[in-house]
Amino acid sequence: MAEHVLEPDSSRRGFVNWFLGLSGVAFLLSTVYPLSRYLVPPRVAESTAGTVTLPIKPDDVKANSGQIFKFGSRPAILVRTPAGDLRAFSAICTHLNCTVQYRTDLTQIWCACHNGHYDLNGKNVEGPPPRPLDAYVVNVRGNQIVVSKSA
Amino acid sequence: MAPAKAFDGDIHKAKGFGCVACHGGDANAAGMEAMDRAKGFIGVPKRQQIPQVCGRCHADAAFMKRYNPSLRVDQVAEYESSVHGSRLRQLGDPKVATCASCHPAHNIRPPSDPKSSVYPLHVADTCGRCHGDAKYMAGYKIPTDQVAKYKTSVHWKAMTDKGDLSAPTCNDCHGNHGAVPPGVSFVGNVCGQCHSLTADLFKKSVHAKVFAEMGNPGCATCHENHGIQPPGDFMLGLGDKAVCSTCHGADDKGGKTATEMRALIDSLSGETQKANAILLQANHAGMEVSQAQFDLNGAKDALVKARTAVHSYTVAPVKQEVEAGLAISSKAYARGVRAMQDLRFRRVWLTIFLVVVLALAAGLVMKIRQVDRRPTSGSPPKH
Repeated sequence: MAEHVLEPDSSRRGFVNWFLGLSGVAFLLSTVYPLSRYLVPPRVAESTAGTVTLPIKPDDVKANSGQIFKFGSRPAILVRTPAGDLRAFSAICTHLNCTVQYRTDLTQIWCACHNGHYDLNGKNVEGPPPRPLDAYVVNVRGNQIVVSKSA
Repeated sequence: MAPAKAFDGDIHKAKGFGCVACHGGDANAAGMEAMDRAKGFIGVPKRQQIPQVCGRCHADAAFMKRYNPSLRVDQVAEYESSVHGSRLRQLGDPKVATCASCHPAHNIRPPSDPKSSVYPLHVADTCGRCHGDAKYMAGYKIPTDQVAKYKTSVHWKAMTDKGDLSAPTCNDCHGNHGAVPPGVSFVGNVCGQCHSLTADLFKKSVHAKVFAEMGNPGCATCHENHGIQPPGDFMLGLGDKAVCSTCHGADDKGGKTATEMRALIDSLSGETQKANAILLQANHAGMEVSQAQFDLNGAKDALVKARTAVHSYTVAPVKQEVEAGLAISSKAYARGVRAMQDLRFRRVWLTIFLVVVLALAAGLVMKIRQVDRRPTSGSPPKH
């Protein structure tokens, strides 16, 4: 009679031990894996952000003006042409990677490092820059300016 | 290739011109009868005749407007002012270049045509057909290694490797139809077409006057003329490869200025690299340092500006740029250090947390086993 009482108890204990062991392994894996991922640096070195919403309202950008903004960790420039169009370009000069700026007096984008000039289409028009600035797409959504690398 | 066959790709054929336009004769007559000298047939134009043959149309503004209103009509006048033109006119030099030397007769294509002999990528070879041929050029007492040197230059590499067709080739510095060597005093003006800021600094500097007095060719004194290599900080100062040491020594004022400018540039270059390295390390480790990396661009700009300011050959403008750059790079470096400290802090506390959690788990397992071994009140006694 006693044999019949002990059998189910022993199998229940075995199941609990098995379950506890499995839980322990799952716990270790769920701890070690994220830890190893945290400790090993990711391969991607820089931001691959393709879109940025600017902390600037469209009405705050006056005609014939431009301002630098952060696109990932790289500089970009937002320009409002005298005609009122909003345009955005990479602000990295194609000559030696200096940051360009907007020249209200010239109505051009200008690089102070070697006097490179770009027109308001980003095309290099004077000085040593060898090619145009990379152009971005500007969309105005309500009261926000959203700049994207491609449409 | 036979002239008539080659003419198929010629711009003149595309515009509707035939043989008679250049060779004269009777356009309405067929066969040999067209070649009637009474009707203006000139046969193969003599070398001395070629500028005039081309100029009949190309120097006539009213005529050219009918075909290409934007094309210049001063090529012949320019040619007359060139070394080629003056030697042809004054000496009747039979080897000198004329229109057809660069724009091969019967296969003339506009400069925008990639098959053209005067397409930017082909200009050096077109000029080099004569100027790179030592045998042909014997007697002119000028070097024949210009094209070979040019093809090692930063300008040629910009054109070929980076596809920048606006990079200068022979005609951009020497002129095309009015080709002459730029005068020693005007080299700065020629380079200044693109490198205007550097040329302006040079013009205002002590070197502009001294170089002119010494007969040194401005920019080319330090940077070469045809084989211009990418400049570097090694050129500055009194080191082995420094160009300043050609004229200056450690004891003269110029040598001291060069050494001081080099030290300033090296300090900013070193500090910028140090800041860049720690920010990159922090970024790779998953820390958010994009604002610091963005701000560090200001130090990189200052370094480029300082390198340009070297062409003033005075310490003050270089120092001004370097100090501005150092302020930015030291801030960026400090942010990198903070990011790495944050990272270490997180790793240490994560490790402590894990040790505690694992110890707790181990303790729990041991406790459960201890409880399992303890005899329960309801179980029968063991014998």
